[in-house]
Amino acid sequence: MRNVDDLISKALSRRNFLLGAGSAATLTAVGCGGSTFQPQTTPDNPPVTFTDNDYLNFALNLEYLEASYYLMAATGSGLPSADAGSGAGSLTGGAQVTFTSQIQQEYTYELAQNELTHVRYLRNALGSAAVSAPAIDLVNSFNAAAMAAGIGSSFNPFASFDNFLVGAFVFEDVGVTAYAGAAPLLSAKTYYGPLIGIQGSEAYHAGEIRTLILQAGSTYVDYANKISATRASLGGGNETMLSATSVAAADSTNAIGFSRTPNQVLQIVYLSPNGNLPSGGFFPNGMNGNIKVTTA
Amino acid sequence: MATTETQILDEVIASSRRRIMTMGGTALAGLLLGSAAKAEAQAQAGFTDNDYLNFALNLEYLEAEYYTLATTGKTLAQAGIGVGPGTTATGGGTVTVKPTGAASCKVPFAMPNVASYASELATEEQKHVTYLRGVLGGATVAEPDIDLFNSFNAAAAAAGIGPAFDPFADDVAFLLGSYIFEDVGVTAYHSLASFVTSASNRSAVPGILAVEAYHAGLVRTVLWGLDRATPAAGIAATATKITDLRTKLDGTNNDDVGLQTVQVGLNTGGANFTASTILNAGTEAIIFSRVPDRVIAIVYGNSNRVGGGFYPSRMNGLIR
Repeated sequence: MRNVDDLISKALSRRNFLLGAGSAATLTAVGCGGSTFQPQTTPDNPPVTFTDNDYLNFALNLEYLEASYYLMAATGSGLPSADAGSGAGSLTGGAQVTFTSQIQQEYTYELAQNELTHVRYLRNALGSAAVSAPAIDLVNSFNAAAMAAGIGSSFNPFASFDNFLVGAFVFEDVGVTAYAGAAPLLSAKTYYGPLIGIQGSEAYHAGEIRTLILQAGSTYVDYANKISATRASLGGGNETMLSATSVAAADSTNAIGFSRTPNQVLQIVYLSPNGNLPSGGFFPNGMNGNIKVTTA
Repeated sequence: MATTETQILDEVIASSRRRIMTMGGTALAGLLLGSAAKAEAQAQAGFTDNDYLNFALNLEYLEAEYYTLATTGKTLAQAGIGVGPGTTATGGGTVTVKPTGAASCKVPFAMPNVASYASELATEEQKHVTYLRGVLGGATVAEPDIDLFNSFNAAAAAAGIGPAFDPFADDVAFLLGSYIFEDVGVTAYHSLASFVTSASNRSAVPGILAVEAYHAGLVRTVLWGLDRATPAAGIAATATKITDLRTKLDGTNNDDVGLQTVQVGLNTGGANFTASTILNAGTEAIIFSRVPDRVIAIVYGNSNRVGGGFYPSRMNGLIR
């Protein structure tokens, strides 16, 4: 456990450094690869020109990503074409996880069904305005994330159930913050309650995943915390290192959950803090819809 | 099972009815306009952000008392957490604990991870109390009388679990006690998120909701794992009885999901996959929402609004 504590301590100090670094710092990625993070500008507020449908489509892109990931892990195939929409992008990588117990399957099937249901809910809410699923990459993205996080030169989240948990960890806390950030931007009240509700659902998932990673042991807690530190550097801080006394991700003073702007979320899923970036990471051709380019 | 839309309408109707009784003609006029949006606005009329925050504070007092007793054997007041009216630290209501005293409420945890989780839950619910008290300032209501002894026994009897239930007895009992509260907190904050109006409250309330949902996800995951490890103990079945009691008390019979398995279809045509129910949500995989009236019915153990259950003398504040 001491190693975990050390790691958390280091990660926390790095996180604090990153949080306090402001816009002038040039951040160098931990670990291999030598990729250099460019100076990070203060995240801009999203332009007011975005419509409610733009925000719902932004959320839909995230749900496509989550659903594709979980469905792959559960069954070895991704979204049904009827749920991906016409002209949907291709899904790269992914494989059915070899489960070693019934409860592993139960967790995975539930997560997959929940996220697929979110896809269907948002597509239904948007009607003809719904964007189709963009191209999604579940191979190079995780490898790049692993390198940026200092986990190694590659990471296959489908190699085992425990690896799968780490892959899920990449998404769930981010989903919570994305909905927390998007819901207040809606101009009509119609979908405010439902978006806050999906935020809550993602937080159940995140609490579940973080608990299961603790059960998986220190190797996986280390991975999760390295990813957490990377997310903090990409997406404006707002991370809580995972430990048995910090399952919830929340600010340390008031225990209130975090929020991220759409731009901060884009920087995480594109795996880059750069501005004017239209694609990257999990979305090799970018998200579909009007919210897809990181802010300059 | 209710869709979100029908659930919202149910809530509008339920709360509107109650408001008619307390507000008379104004509320009725609002309802006669016929639109759900107008009815919802009318349903909220008369309550301020501070009223909603004080309502939330009553719930946080309860959670924080429970976890603080479980982890330290002390009440909030004994632990030095403010419980009085306004900015006064002292002057809260009576906390009824086990007859053997507050110290005997400290759970003899046998599972180190559960002890750690309990510590986190205690710390974070205390922070919620302190945060809300800070925001409310002079408008803060004092902690009401809280019963953490007779309440659990009555709930156990009503749920068909048994004549008595001591949530401080051991790890599993403690987790089941947590289960009673966390899902309810989530649904309460979900409705409050739409009721509060100030920008800061519209940011903070969903943020607290998220933490309660993290907690609920944690507690439900641990309970489900323990149930699968020792099926004969009937842990999940007990949790589901609590769920059934909650949804019976709030009058909906359709806004709570226990710990069980369900068949899901995933990306195939048939529902052939056996899934867990860690997420407590409806058919749209969106968490439920409970207006204060429904939350009150659960935590009082009745819908008479005269107090009972965890709040023998009702809550403090205007929403009670």
